[in-house]
Amino acid sequence: MALDYRKCAEEISANIGGGSNVISAAHCATRLRLVIADNGKVNKAALENVDGVKGMFESNGQLQLIIGTGTVNKVYDEFLAVTGVSAASKDDVKAAAVSKMPWWKKILKTPGDIFVPILPAIVASGLMMGIVEAIPKFAPAFGQSDWFSFLDLVANTAFALLPVLVAISSARVFKGNIFLGAVIGLMMVHPALINAWTVSNYAAGEIPTWHLFFFNVQQVGYQGHVIPVILAVLLMSKLENWLHKHVPEMIDLFVTPLTTVLVTAFVTFTIIGPVFSVFENWVLDGAKWLITVGYGIGAAIMGAIYPWTVVMGLHHMYNVIEAGMISSTGVNTWMPIASAANFAQFGACLAVAVKVHNQKTRSVAFPSSLSASLGITEPAIFGINFRFMKPFICGMIGGAVGAWFAAVIPHGTNAAGETVAFGATTYGVTGIPGIPAVNNTVMYIIELLIAAGVAFALTMVIWKEEQPAAAPVPADVAEAAKEHVPLEIPTTSVIRCAAGTVLQPVKGNVIAREAIPDDTFASGVLGDGVGIEPTDETVVAPFDGVISSVAESQHAVGIEANGMELLIHVGVDTVNMQGEGFTCLVNEGDEVKAGQPLIRFDREKIKAAGYSDTVAVLLTNSDDLEGVECGAAG
Amino acid sequence: MKSFEYTITDPVGIHARPAGVLVKEIKKYASTVTVIKGEKSVNALKLMALMGMGIKQGDTVKVTIEGADEEAAAAEIEAFFKANL
Repeated sequence: MALDYRKCAEEISANIGGGSNVISAAHCATRLRLVIADNGKVNKAALENVDGVKGMFESNGQLQLIIGTGTVNKVYDEFLAVTGVSAASKDDVKAAAVSKMPWWKKILKTPGDIFVPILPAIVASGLMMGIVEAIPKFAPAFGQSDWFSFLDLVANTAFALLPVLVAISSARVFKGNIFLGAVIGLMMVHPALINAWTVSNYAAGEIPTWHLFFFNVQQVGYQGHVIPVILAVLLMSKLENWLHKHVPEMIDLFVTPLTTVLVTAFVTFTIIGPVFSVFENWVLDGAKWLITVGYGIGAAIMGAIYPWTVVMGLHHMYNVIEAGMISSTGVNTWMPIASAANFAQFGACLAVAVKVHNQKTRSVAFPSSLSASLGITEPAIFGINFRFMKPFICGMIGGAVGAWFAAVIPHGTNAAGETVAFGATTYGVTGIPGIPAVNNTVMYIIELLIAAGVAFALTMVIWKEEQPAAAPVPADVAEAAKEHVPLEIPTTSVIRCAAGTVLQPVKGNVIAREAIPDDTFASGVLGDGVGIEPTDETVVAPFDGVISSVAESQHAVGIEANGMELLIHVGVDTVNMQGEGFTCLVNEGDEVKAGQPLIRFDREKIKAAGYSDTVAVLLTNSDDLEGVECGAAG
Repeated sequence: MKSFEYTITDPVGIHARPAGVLVKEIKKYASTVTVIKGEKSVNALKLMALMGMGIKQGDTVKVTIEGADEEAAAAEIEAFFKANL
């Protein structure tokens, strides 16, 4: 039965409120992807019933209609003709989907977009810095060695000059020239400026100042800053693009870059920087006041909001608070709060590392969590927790609980054996390297365990892995662009062998192959495997692989990967139902990801037809594979 | 090389179960057995590939048998097709 493409396109158009309600349209191998202006005009029930539409779902602001290989492009052409919408690339559709996001989501998305490409640099540096700086706490002699000095330089390069990396990446995100972006970043950490990390060593009057028009600009760099850099490059990119449009082409090449850099530099140092430093001072004063609030309440709040100040790059200022405490009382009570906050981010990140299925995310999450346990939280926060948001919030809660605990610990013991408030005797360290620095080691360790434990447990419970599109690790971007399906990856496996693992493709009760109510399947003629008595009606891909065959009657699918040939057959004798009650969502040759829906089936219809709905999952070449082991396993 | 042509009479065609039985039968022989339908041809030991051909009742397939035991195998496989497919 040939599909009437024109009719299909017309019916789709009619049920989405016509062409005027379409912001953009694109298609991939199997789906029509639409960005809709007003979702209220979409009649979903009617859309599902349009002849030719095999399924639909909404993802990332897109309405996706599954139509099928070879037909989707024809329906798409007719759709454009019917609606008068112009063709859009997938990028356009993605961009339109982004522009449909609420403003606050866009803002939250920006740091992630900027940090994802520079993750390798900060993960490497963070981990190395944590280790290198931790060793002298336990072995002081190492701190004096040349090796320490060398390794410390290597480790902290990316952090010391972080604004450069942020500026380059921001320029890419904001579509500015990345070399001009680099110039802005380099300028903000120029060696002629006083380093932001050491500015607290200067008295207020000692800091050299420029007098530019009516601005007095302190010559201080932006080391450790993130937000002012992003804002500066945002301004630069907008300015550059505006100039490109308005400056005559003949002089564009020298006028535009020159004006862009000069204006951006001026605005950065006179407005963005000072406004931000006023804001920083508020945060600092606020933090100082907050921790004086009694019963540990203030400490708990500080423990919760601390990671936000890391996101904004404000945390380096806390050295001022810590140094002040040590000079006045000899005890740094700030450090346990910061430690709780940081260690909680470690806990949350570790939970992601444990729970996530995406290999690339995991490969970032593990080293990032390790780095966070050593007190360097940027990789964990920007690379994992803040991107997924829920782990970040779980970390905030863990930090609050840990900080509260620290604040109510009655006391520690100082070097002279006197009883003093609980805290540290130095500053600038948190997490595990903080252990030798505190005056009550046992309580400190308990505090860390509480903070990380709460964050870990909450993240394990609350956070669920989202679709790849929401978590684009660089090499993943292409994959993410291909598939926007919110994948729910099965957590149990049913067959394991040397070549790989077969996850449970449909929810239900796993039974032995021999118990499948069909002699052929049970005998093992078709290979070893298991049966599943389904409680759900969707078969998902049990591993990343290629669809090798799809039964004409849509009730069985073959999938291959790494030498494994797997047959998933829904029901017994269901071939006789001729496809009634089954929808196969993939085509032969499709590449699929674990968790991607393959077949939807109707259990009622199978029962009504008088057949068993037991799903056979069989490795058809199990004879050729080594170490095949069947049965459910977590 | 031996070959024969056969028109499928099984109402479901060469679907999972018949294909499985066929693979099992062919495994008995040393010869390479190829099933050809139209322009597509597959090694009959490959269950997935066999199923992927979508061979239905009424389709005529060509089967080739090549190898040391092709004489014996050809006769038995043809008999098997007639009996089971």
